[in-house]
Amino acid sequence: MLELRDLNAHYGKVHVLRGVTMHVEEGESVALLGRNGVGKTTTLKSVMGLVPPTGGSVNFAGTEISKMAPHRIPGAGLGYVPQGRGIFPGLSVEENLLIGLTKTPPSHITDYVFDRFPRLKERLKQQANTLSGGEQQQLAIARCLVMQPKMIILDEPTEGIMPILVKEIRREIAAVRETGVSILLVEQNIKTALRLCTRVYLMEKGVIVHEASASELENDKETLHRYLGVTV
Amino acid sequence: MELTIALALNGIVWGLIIALIALGLSIIFGLLDIINIAHGDFFMVGTVLAWFVAETTGNYWLAFLIVPIIGFALGALIEYTVIQPIKNAAALSIVATFGLAIILQESVRATFGATPERMLPPIHDTIPMFGIEYEVYRLFAAAASIAAIGLFFLFLHRSKLGTWMRAVRFDPETATAMGIPARRIYLMTFAIGFAMASLGGVVAAPITTVYFEAGVDILPFCFMAVIIGGLGNLGGTVAAAVLLAFFEGVITSFTDPTFARIGSLCLMSLVLMIRPHGIFAGATR
Ligand SMILES: Nc1ncnc2c1ncn2[C@@H]1O[C@H](COP(=O)(O)OP(=O)(O)OP(=O)(O)O)[C@@H](O)[C@H]1O
Ligand SMILES: [Mg+2]
Repeated sequence: MLELRDLNAHYGKVHVLRGVTMHVEEGESVALLGRNGVGKTTTLKSVMGLVPPTGGSVNFAGTEISKMAPHRIPGAGLGYVPQGRGIFPGLSVEENLLIGLTKTPPSHITDYVFDRFPRLKERLKQQANTLSGGEQQQLAIARCLVMQPKMIILDEPTEGIMPILVKEIRREIAAVRETGVSILLVEQNIKTALRLCTRVYLMEKGVIVHEASASELENDKETLHRYLGVTV
Repeated sequence: MELTIALALNGIVWGLIIALIALGLSIIFGLLDIINIAHGDFFMVGTVLAWFVAETTGNYWLAFLIVPIIGFALGALIEYTVIQPIKNAAALSIVATFGLAIILQESVRATFGATPERMLPPIHDTIPMFGIEYEVYRLFAAAASIAAIGLFFLFLHRSKLGTWMRAVRFDPETATAMGIPARRIYLMTFAIGFAMASLGGVVAAPITTVYFEAGVDILPFCFMAVIIGGLGNLGGTVAAAVLLAFFEGVITSFTDPTFARIGSLCLMSLVLMIRPHGIFAGATR
């Protein structure tokens, strides 16, 4: 479904991604983990064309998207939930929700989304910045879903969310996964990542240094400690 | 007293026209981070084109239709050729648009000539108001400006394109990741800004002097309205433009217009000292 080959990216002269190679199969959920500043967000932004790759390729559903105009990439079926949620504060909840669409979505889609996120439905006319952090995260996910993506990329969706709500967000992502949408997840919360994903990539200084199944990694204390500095 | 009433009314009319022009300035600044020194000249081009349409067709009303379309096209062309290349160096915007201002002024001088022209309003009637006889065209000018401003706000808040403009303003990167063609939105915004300024020119042409330096006179006033209203606060810009012009009108009736302008500048300084983000800061975004 998504395949990155030897992806490189720069911020000015700073070489941030140094040949990232990874893939996500159809219906698969994959996590990308690593310490702060190793280039996880940059990897996702490169896939979305927001940080134009300086080398390598990104193939999505059989199309080379690294040469596409960035605003066309979501239309190819790739949804993105940015780090920090990326809600437009001065727009209403409804405007945020439908921002990526030019026509009103089919009713089974809106029904599905409102079923999953009843609190958004109650707050459609409200300014988006009046929502709580957790609600904003729901909105960010719902905003992708109404575009009916084949795959969703999420950048630290549980960052800065109250612990009791983390579970809820995790449930939402699991529900999306159950509908057959592929998932690429960047997380600091290892537990969330291991629960939601079947395969994990570990990143360090702009390259993938380790790949393992979630169950393998869960028991591989040494690797977890070496690349993430955590003990689970 | 009669003079004061007349000048106060004129002030309000002018304020509404300025509001229309300053809104264009404000959206260009808000979305593109461009300080558009040429904005007054967009207005001037509007007055000249209006004069030209009236001269060639003999029908002034046609200018209301044609000139904003020409303004939009010119704006799109300028965004593409002048603004886009400096997109990542906003500091250059002052130099680039200053150059653009000179090009526009000199082009008009070369073609239209340097002699100021006065044109007659398409409506000559007057009606009694507040004890004076007031020109009907000025009332029409006020109504036309209000209608244009209202349509613009409706467009910004009710159309998809308007929503996209607001989204791009908050976060162009996320907007792009939601499928919004940010590049095209910048072009549209600049073109709409030019169209609004040139429409202001059409409305104002019969009550002002049509000449190549008219934009230079109006630019500071637009900037004052944008600053006093609060940068990026569109409603504030409109209110500030009307208040300022009313204020200058009233002062002018007692003394020299120069003192009125000095008064406005003092008012702006005062506002900036007390409320650095404008009188209406925080009211809306
Ligand atoms: N806009 C930018 N300009 C210059 N350098 C940047 C920019 N954004 C990120 N960087 C740098 O690139 C490197 C990778 O950043 P990135 O945001 O991809 O890391 P990350 O793995 O997502 O970190 P975190 O876990 O903190 O979100 C970091 O060293 C960062 O300082
Ligand atoms: Mg990050």
